[in-house]
Amino acid sequence: MTDELELLKKDWQKKEFNVPKLSYEDIHKMIWKKSSSIVKWILIISILEFTLPHLLYLLPSMREGMEIYDKIGVSKYLLIISVFTYAVAFYFIFQFYKRFKEISVLDNSKNLMKKIIKTRKTVKHYVIFSLSMIMVTIIIMIIGVYLNDNIISAFPELKGSLENISQEKLKITVMLSIGIFGVILTLLMGVIYFLLYGLLLRKLKKNYSELRHLAV
Amino acid sequence: MNKELEHKFVTELQDNQNIVHKVCTLYTNDRDSHNDLFQEITIQLWKAYPKFRGEAKFSTWMYRVALNTAITLYRKNKRRIDTADYESIIFKIKADEYDETEELQLKLMYKAVKQLNDVDKALVFLYLEDKNYTEISETLGITEVNARVKMNRIKTKLRTILNP
Repeated sequence: MTDELELLKKDWQKKEFNVPKLSYEDIHKMIWKKSSSIVKWILIISILEFTLPHLLYLLPSMREGMEIYDKIGVSKYLLIISVFTYAVAFYFIFQFYKRFKEISVLDNSKNLMKKIIKTRKTVKHYVIFSLSMIMVTIIIMIIGVYLNDNIISAFPELKGSLENISQEKLKITVMLSIGIFGVILTLLMGVIYFLLYGLLLRKLKKNYSELRHLAV
Repeated sequence: MNKELEHKFVTELQDNQNIVHKVCTLYTNDRDSHNDLFQEITIQLWKAYPKFRGEAKFSTWMYRVALNTAITLYRKNKRRIDTADYESIIFKIKADEYDETEELQLKLMYKAVKQLNDVDKALVFLYLEDKNYTEISETLGITEVNARVKMNRIKTKLRTILNP
């Protein structure tokens, strides 16, 4: 085998590959093209993940939805939660930025892969944190409904049709709907997130573990 | 960035483009992907160029960026076109330079190398480029001992591919 590899080496070194040589203009054009590296994709997806959930609050229908918190009587607690969430989100953005900056194509392969995975982990932790905050919000709403003695007043537009239903039944229905909606929303966001990154980083992870096993 | 730097970079890359073509040939299976990877490597080289201060030779510096792009940053094209034709074009071996057995041997070797995984290909590539184990280990971020062990394993792997 060594002989064959040596033979290959000789051939390899004198080989002019049978591909069209690029001209000065070809290369010059290329340097202004947009990169499509995974680092860039991680940046784009992460920015979306950091901003999209917050942009939702700008929708008018979402703002109307917020009024329901007032009616259920939990808006005070939810305000505390959102202040906390924003503080933690800023911490994550800072961490992400710091790690993202450390990624350099001039690093050796193993370090480069390690840093990309570390950067992604920051986003992963952030997503897990946001998803748990959604769950906490849902739980607070359910508790709010449970402790509310006049739940019908939270739905004035439905007042007529709700009169025949007992307070208990209505409470359970509202609590269940909020609970189911919350779980579905969380699961959906979780699945989208892990699919996205799973596909994006599959090759990188494989190569990284290949290099890491070498070190053992 | 200024025009002078731009000109210097393009000229140097043009002179050394064979290295990038070799990497692209190893890591892609059709001409479109080849060009795609070439472009991504060029972009990465250009972005990193201001940090290149000529401590090393331009070509030495290129190996690292090109390989990092191929095995880490580049997102493989999902399209997989049947590659037999492409390979026979790329690895066209001039018949008059070799005797027939040697020519066949080389063809099989190239085919076998193409079947290796990304990391193994990187090692073989550096080996074929006559890099020593110190350079190989520094480029990949593994120890020199590991690079040697790995290279021996690759040789065994190639042997298995060639003589199943």
